[in-house]
Amino acid sequence: MSPREFQFVFGGFVTAWLILVIYAVSLGLRERRLRKELDRVRQMVEKR
Amino acid sequence: MREKITYVLAIAGIALVTWNLYKIFFVLPPEANVAAYQIVYFHVPAAITAFTGFFVALIASGLYLATGDLKFDAFAAGITEVAVAFASVNLATGMIWARYAWGIWWAWDARLTSMLTCWLMYAGYLILRRAVDEPTQRAKLSAFLSIFGCVNVAFVYKSIEWFRTQHPAPVLSVRQGGGMGPGMEAPIYWNYLAMLCIATVLVIVRMRQEGVSREIDSLRRMAHAY
Amino acid sequence: MAKAERGGAGFSLQGGLQPTPQPMPALNPQLPAEPHSPSFFRQALTIAAKDLRSELRTKEALNASLAFSVVIFLLFSFAFDPGNLDIDINEFSGGLLWLAFAFAGALSLNRSFARELQNDCLDALVASPAPPGALFLGKALANFALILAVEIISLGVFAVMYNVHIQPQLGWLIVVMLMTTWAITVIGTAFSALTVNLRMRELMLPILTYPFLIPPLMAAILLTTDLLGGKPISADNMIWVRVLVAFDVIFSLLAVVFIDIVLVG
Repeated sequence: MSPREFQFVFGGFVTAWLILVIYAVSLGLRERRLRKELDRVRQMVEKR
Repeated sequence: MREKITYVLAIAGIALVTWNLYKIFFVLPPEANVAAYQIVYFHVPAAITAFTGFFVALIASGLYLATGDLKFDAFAAGITEVAVAFASVNLATGMIWARYAWGIWWAWDARLTSMLTCWLMYAGYLILRRAVDEPTQRAKLSAFLSIFGCVNVAFVYKSIEWFRTQHPAPVLSVRQGGGMGPGMEAPIYWNYLAMLCIATVLVIVRMRQEGVSREIDSLRRMAHAY
Repeated sequence: MAKAERGGAGFSLQGGLQPTPQPMPALNPQLPAEPHSPSFFRQALTIAAKDLRSELRTKEALNASLAFSVVIFLLFSFAFDPGNLDIDINEFSGGLLWLAFAFAGALSLNRSFARELQNDCLDALVASPAPPGALFLGKALANFALILAVEIISLGVFAVMYNVHIQPQLGWLIVVMLMTTWAITVIGTAFSALTVNLRMRELMLPILTYPFLIPPLMAAILLTTDLLGGKPISADNMIWVRVLVAFDVIFSLLAVVFIDIVLVG
């Protein structure tokens, strides 16, 4: 496999999975934020 | 139970992808051992996954309208978001393929244009969801948009065959004029299966989040009701 | 008494609230009582007439979109050199025209449902006996007339300013304009209803509308370019006429059937 071929295959695969990984990470971050907020709101309700 | 299914699917998806990578690099005949083919093995399944997602989103939206159950709305929202992610994968790998094969990153070819159009349409769907606060109204508006969107995907997609095109003919032999040799397209199907597993995992996670944010909303309303 | 009430409700400073005139059998005892409400299309026409009347009173959207399309034409003249004889303006006149029409059309479409928000007129319209489909169709017809009027005037301006000959294929040109304008109107009016209660209404409408309009706009641009270049509609570009017809029919039906999700929700 020539370097040019490798460059494109590598680039293609990395981009493909990078997009999905970034999406998964953003999902994880959102999950954490939501959990935090849920706890906060729960405490707020209990305090009342 | 749901947790277990999620883990099983995630492991199955990753295992399938690894196995496919092994096959693509070491088992397939040498003529498939070029970037043009190897990128397509991910480029095409990503597109099919995205369109599967848009179609399932249409069904979920229809089910929401029929039943009024917000669970279907969460399903439609999750699957559309994941499908947009896969459409982005398709566009990005397509651009790299175009750079390899045509020497340019983007051509205003019909198929590229139509995929970009679909991507924009569903990105609009996701933006719309953020602009509406009230859950029932959000669900109704986005279900309406999803129905319109899916019908328009058919339109956009059909115009490919009529517009000037430089994109290679569809590579799958299911349709006429397949471009790949016999036995060479198997990885496309296997990768499709792998991507479906991964997409399902993502959708499950996304749906759970939708449920959590609804819970937050109702708790907040309770807090303010006192 | 009933007459006075009707007169009172029909009058409004904004010209917005004009409830659908219902047959009032009690008003005139000589006439036989009419048990049926007016037909679907009568109701749609009533709404369209009301919208056109209130628009023609102020001419807000009409003036704005006309001015806007002339501004777009002016800006186009900087994108290329219209005086350069090597450039064949006919090759991209279709694109220029439909871009201007689509952008100018969005201005009227934005106002279509938003103008009913004052004094809760939209709620009154939805609560009126007219079915949502008829309400939608009436609004769409009014928008169609307004956008078409703007288009016809700006087409004349364009032809004069850019020295384009519209006469050779005028008949087909009008047909293409009618069909594409209806496509813009159906999608635009449906999305105008969809976005009317949103915070970012003015932003959401174009974001949603333009990607949706790509099939009809693509067809219109190709056809208009052919027609302005003097090429008649023949076997090779007939397919785009079919695209337009199919788009119009399918989305008109979808919108009339499903619009109640958006309006009554």
